Amino acid sequence: MMRKKLVSVLTISVICVSMLLGCSVSTDTGDASLNEGNTSNEGNTSNEGNTSNEGNTSNEESSGDATEISWIFYDDLNVSEDLVTKGYKDVIERFNEDYAGKYHVNVISTPREEYDTKLNALIASGNIPELFTCHPGPLMEQYVDAGVAADLTEILQKDNPDWYKSFKDGIFDKLTYDEKIMAIPTNFSAALVFYNTQIFEEVGVTPPETYDEWLEVCEKIQDAGYTPIACSAKDPWCISLLAGYLCDREDGPDNLQGVSEGTLDWTSESYINAGNKLIELSQYFQPTAAGDSNDQANAEFTSGKAAMLVQGSWVIGEINGRVPEIEEVCGAFRFPAIEGGADPDRMMVKTDNIMLSSKAEGDKKEAAIELLKYFTDETAQKYVAEEAGKIPTTNVEVDTAVAPKQYNYVEEVLDNTTATFGFYNESLATTEAGDIFDDAIVEIYLQNATPQEAFQELQDYYEKNVW
Amino acid sequence: MDRMLRNRKAIVFFVAPAFVLFTVVLLIPILQMLYYSLCDYNALKEPVFIGLDNFKTLLFEDKTMRMALKNSLFFMIFSAVTQQIIGVLLAVMLTNIRRGRNFFRNVIYLPTVLSSAALGLLWAFIFNPKFGLNYLLDKLGIQGPLWLMESDGFIVLPMIVIAFVALWQYVGQNMMLYMAQIMGISKDLYEAARIDGASDTKTFRFITLPLIKPMFITSLSLNCIGSLKFFDLVYNMTQGGPSNRTQVLATHLYEQGFIYFKYGYSSAIAVVLLVLCLIVSLIIRKGIRVENYEM
Repeated sequence: MMRKKLVSVLTISVICVSMLLGCSVSTDTGDASLNEGNTSNEGNTSNEGNTSNEGNTSNEESSGDATEISWIFYDDLNVSEDLVTKGYKDVIERFNEDYAGKYHVNVISTPREEYDTKLNALIASGNIPELFTCHPGPLMEQYVDAGVAADLTEILQKDNPDWYKSFKDGIFDKLTYDEKIMAIPTNFSAALVFYNTQIFEEVGVTPPETYDEWLEVCEKIQDAGYTPIACSAKDPWCISLLAGYLCDREDGPDNLQGVSEGTLDWTSESYINAGNKLIELSQYFQPTAAGDSNDQANAEFTSGKAAMLVQGSWVIGEINGRVPEIEEVCGAFRFPAIEGGADPDRMMVKTDNIMLSSKAEGDKKEAAIELLKYFTDETAQKYVAEEAGKIPTTNVEVDTAVAPKQYNYVEEVLDNTTATFGFYNESLATTEAGDIFDDAIVEIYLQNATPQEAFQELQDYYEKNVW
Repeated sequence: MDRMLRNRKAIVFFVAPAFVLFTVVLLIPILQMLYYSLCDYNALKEPVFIGLDNFKTLLFEDKTMRMALKNSLFFMIFSAVTQQIIGVLLAVMLTNIRRGRNFFRNVIYLPTVLSSAALGLLWAFIFNPKFGLNYLLDKLGIQGPLWLMESDGFIVLPMIVIAFVALWQYVGQNMMLYMAQIMGISKDLYEAARIDGASDTKTFRFITLPLIKPMFITSLSLNCIGSLKFFDLVYNMTQGGPSNRTQVLATHLYEQGFIYFKYGYSSAIAVVLLVLCLIVSLIIRKGIRVENYEM
C-alpha cells in the first residue's frame, strides 16, 4: 500500500515537473538585481509560446509610472557568456538606471534559432515590440515593405544631426530602402579565417594567400594530426558562409548581381566551380562536421583540435568569453584568393541592427529612440571594440591596446578591403532563396547532389519566383 | 428530468457554452484556414484571393511537400504497426504479472507525459556525433553513423531514429488503453477457456484479441492521426534537416507559415493534412469490422 502511494506521488511529481518543463518564456530586463522578489506587471512568466510582450518581467520599475518599452533580442542577457550580449546587458542596465521612473525597457529573450519565428508571430499578432533586432537582407526588406518598421531618416538627419554624424560613412547603405534609413546598426562583423598560431608554428606553415596554397597548408596540418578546418553543416549557415566566400572569390560581385537581375544562371561556371572547390575543401573538415553544431565547430577550434575556423568576427566575443586563453593563440587572415578569380580584397560583412516599430508613438517612441542612442553612444561602442572584439559603427576612438588581439587583425584586414558584400544567404531575393542556397551547399558537402544538381534547385526557384 | 429535457431554454442553456466554445476555437479557425488556403497571405498585408494556386504548387511542384508526405506516411505506418503490436503485447504481459505491475506500467507510460521538447533535446544529445551513443560506440572501437544527419536511402536514417524515439515515447499510451480494455474482460471467460483446455496462446487469440477490437479502432485512429500531425520530436531533433529530408507535413507547414510568412500556403498544407486525417479515420472506421460481445 505504502509502495503504491509512493509510486503515485512520484508519478504525479514527474508529471507536474514535465508539464512545467518547456513552459517558460525568458523575458529579462538585463538587470538581474532588479528581478528578485518583485511582482510581475501583467500576465505571468510561465506561459508556453507566449507571444505577447506584456506577460513578462518582474522588476521594481515596471510597476511605477515609467513608460514601458520592449526590445526583442536573440540571446539571454542574464546567462549568455557572449561578450556582445554582455555589452547589450550593460546598455539596458545603464538606460534603466538613468531613466528610472521615466522610461523602462523590458527585454524579450529568445533563442537564436527561434528568433525570426517568434518575431514574425509577434508582428502577425499585432504585438510588435517597440524595438527589434533584424539582420539585413530579404527579411528586413519584408518588414520594410509591410510597413512594420519606422522610417528613421528624419529622426537621424533632422532631429538628431549630431547622432547621425557620429556614424561611420556608408554604414547605412545596406539599411536604406528608397532613400529611407530603416535601422540603426549597433556593430558590425567581417568574416575571415581565424587560425591557431601555435599549430601553424608547429607545422611550419604561414597564412595562405591563395586557394591552392590553402589546400597545401590544410594537407600539412592534416598530416601533423590536426583537423585543418572546423566547420558545421548541422547549422547550415556556417558552411554556407564559407561557400558564399568561394562563390564571391570565383566571380563576385558579377555573379551575384547576374543572378539577381536574371542575366546569369545559378548553374553557370562560377557557381559550379565554387561547389567543386567546396567538395575539395571539405575533406579537411573534422569528421563529424555534418552533425556538429556551430558551437561544437567553434569548440573544435578553441580546444586546439582544429587549426582554422571560417567565421564572422562576432565569434571573437563568443570564443574569448568562453575560453579566454584562445586570444593569445588566435590569428586571422583574409579569405584566400582564387587564381584567375575575382578581387580577393572583397570582404563579407554584416551589421547587427535594431529597427523601430512603426507602431511606437508618443512617449514610447521617445523612449525607444533614447535607447537606440544608448546602443550607439561612446560607452557602448567602445565596449563593442575593446571588450567584444566587434567593429563599432560610430567614429569612436578605440584603444587598440586593450581591445582583443583579434580585433586588431580584423582591422588590419579591413584596412586593405576594397569592397564589402553581405552574407550570401542574406543577399538573395527572399529568405526562402537563402535557405535553398544553404540546403544546396549542405547537399554538395554531403555529396547527395553534384554542384550542378544542387544549384539547379536555386535555378528552378528563381525561374519560378524571382525572374 | 424528462420535463427538463422538453424545456427548450434548458437545452439551449446547457448546449450553448459547448457550442460557443466549439465555434470559437474550432469552427471559425477551420473556416478561416480554408479561406486563407485560397489566398496569397503573409499576415503583414491583406490576403489576396488566388483560387487553387497554392494547391497546384503544393501538389505538383513542391518537392519538399512530396518529401514531407512520404515521411509522414512512413511515420504513420511505422507507428501504427509497432505501437499497436508492442502496446498490445505489453498490456497482455502486464495484466498477467503479479508483482511490479504498477511499477512497469508507470515506467512505460512515463515518457508519454514528459515534455516532447525536453525529450527531443535529450535524444538529440544522445545521437550527437561527439557524445552520447557514438561516444560509447567509439569506446568499443565502432564508428557510429551520423544518426541525425545521414541522408541516404528512400527513408533516411534520422527519420527512422525519430520513429523509434516516438515509439518509445508513445507506446505507453497504447499499452494503457489496451490494459484498460483487457481488465474489463470477465475472468469467467478465461476460466471457462482453461477448463475447456485452451492454451495461453489460444486464450489470447480467441478471447483477448476479439474483445479488445473496439479499443483497437480507437487506439489506431489516435495513433494514425497523431502521427500524421506529428511535429515536436522532428522539430526538436532535426528541424526537418538535413536539406529537408526529415520534413513532415507539420514541420513543412510551420516553416512555410512562421519562417517564410507564407500563411496562405501553409494553410493549404493544413487543409491537405486535415483531408488526410479524415481519409485515414474513414478507412479505419469502415475498414475494420467490430462485433460487440458481452464481456
